[in-house]
Amino acid sequence: MAKKNELISAENNITRKDFRGVFWRSFTLLGSFNYERMEGLGFLFAIMPVLRKIYKGDDEALKASMHRHIAAFNMTVAPSPFVMGTTIAMEEKAKKDKSFDVSSINAIKVALMGPLSGIGDTFFWGIIRILACALAVGFAKEGNVIAPFVLLLVFNIPNFLTRWITLFLGYEKGSSLLSDMQSSGKMQLFTHCAGIIGAMSMGCMIAMWISISCPLQFTLAGSEIVIQEYLDQILPKILPLAFTLGIFSFIKKNCKVQKIIAGIVVIGFVLGILGLISL
Amino acid sequence: MNLLQALLVALVAAVSRSEGDWLGECKLREPVVTGFLVGLILGDVKTGLIIGAELQLMWMGATGIGPTAQLDIGIGGTIGTAVAIMTGTGPETAILFGVPVAVIMQFLNTLLLSAYSGVMVAADHKIDALDFRGIRLLHYFCGICTTLAYFLPTFFVMYFGNTVIESIVAGMPEWVNLGLSGVAAILPCLGFALLLNIIMEKNLIPYFILGFIPAAYVGFDLTMIAIAGVAVAIAWIIFMLRQNEGAKVSAASSSDDEWED
Repeated sequence: MAKKNELISAENNITRKDFRGVFWRSFTLLGSFNYERMEGLGFLFAIMPVLRKIYKGDDEALKASMHRHIAAFNMTVAPSPFVMGTTIAMEEKAKKDKSFDVSSINAIKVALMGPLSGIGDTFFWGIIRILACALAVGFAKEGNVIAPFVLLLVFNIPNFLTRWITLFLGYEKGSSLLSDMQSSGKMQLFTHCAGIIGAMSMGCMIAMWISISCPLQFTLAGSEIVIQEYLDQILPKILPLAFTLGIFSFIKKNCKVQKIIAGIVVIGFVLGILGLISL
Repeated sequence: MNLLQALLVALVAAVSRSEGDWLGECKLREPVVTGFLVGLILGDVKTGLIIGAELQLMWMGATGIGPTAQLDIGIGGTIGTAVAIMTGTGPETAILFGVPVAVIMQFLNTLLLSAYSGVMVAADHKIDALDFRGIRLLHYFCGICTTLAYFLPTFFVMYFGNTVIESIVAGMPEWVNLGLSGVAAILPCLGFALLLNIIMEKNLIPYFILGFIPAAYVGFDLTMIAIAGVAVAIAWIIFMLRQNEGAKVSAASSSDDEWED
């Protein structure tokens, strides 16, 4: 830590303290989530103090820029400060250079949403969360009180670091970093490699964490038939795999998640009563 | 359950939802955490943790990705654990109460999220008026509404529903139990299917199989970490091997944009 409140942008008097503000405000991104603008208001809330500094004394430009950032926005929350950093850098450019095409700001935001969400979801939901929960379950089963703290630390250390680091990374490198990575093909390679980790973990998790079994058994000609044993001979964990892939295919067909949940509730209930599946 | 305990349990339910909104999805919603907190409030931390672990296993795949709502595991876990400890029963009761609560509250949640669309119109007006305080308050307003929508029902159910809950637990017919365990068995698949939808592409299928097979045959314990480790190694090697020919990769595959939905 050098100076407590060093200047980040001398031109607009933006300091490290302002960035700390954006960092903390980024935690509330989902606070006013809705189906129309999604995280729009949250995004505006996060960067509003900085926008006010940039457009000090130019109310019309400030209004225009605020309208830009309440627009629909939606992405995985952890790497969202990257986009906030990039946006601040572009707004500064727009203020300095009157011929700057402001519509490119939202275009870049939209372009960042997809790839960052893809990587963010893979890492935070697909890998870090599962790892944190898996470790914690081991402790919790024994009634060990450190379980919840293990979970929170394992998840939140990457969560906080990602936010803090990507905020500055987005501000300093921002759109150029992404376009460089995209044009050199590194972005695709990186996504592909993250996908490898994700895909392998997914396969493993489905086998380990979903327990669906068939309790059905009956006696036929004096010998006891246990259906689950036959299923295990075909492939262990075949039911979790089959149900997951079945639901996956419905999602692929753009079936609404609410409908899928309703379907699961009905089908699960009936199959459960019939004694065909259980935990 | 006394007044203070009911208030505290309701607070846990509200926080387990609001952490996603206000604390950056810091995972206070996970059943291991809510189980611990509820156990602490009701004076039985150990049982709380054990029930939390059971619910956690069941909801391992409960992900909240994008605007697609699915399971409200925060309040489901909180109420489930509270009822199980209160009635002196086990994880089965927690599942019995937690699963329906998680499903119902998620539907309520979609209503809330639709309603907040109206707030956006007000926010547009505040921008034109340069009313910064108003914009802030609107952002907070949504959060306060959500918090209350979780706090109040939980409190009423916990404080006034004691006898009702106990008679439900005592008089639950076996077939409802069976049916709910069927639902509880399939629901986790949805979370994993949603994750697959984000991650999977055709050229990743071999890796998916590579992860599934050892875990299916060998099973539990450290496999998850071992497989994750192997996956990181493979990804790293491929990254290193292909890094220099990156230009070629992009030229070859630039036509089919991988992350475009």
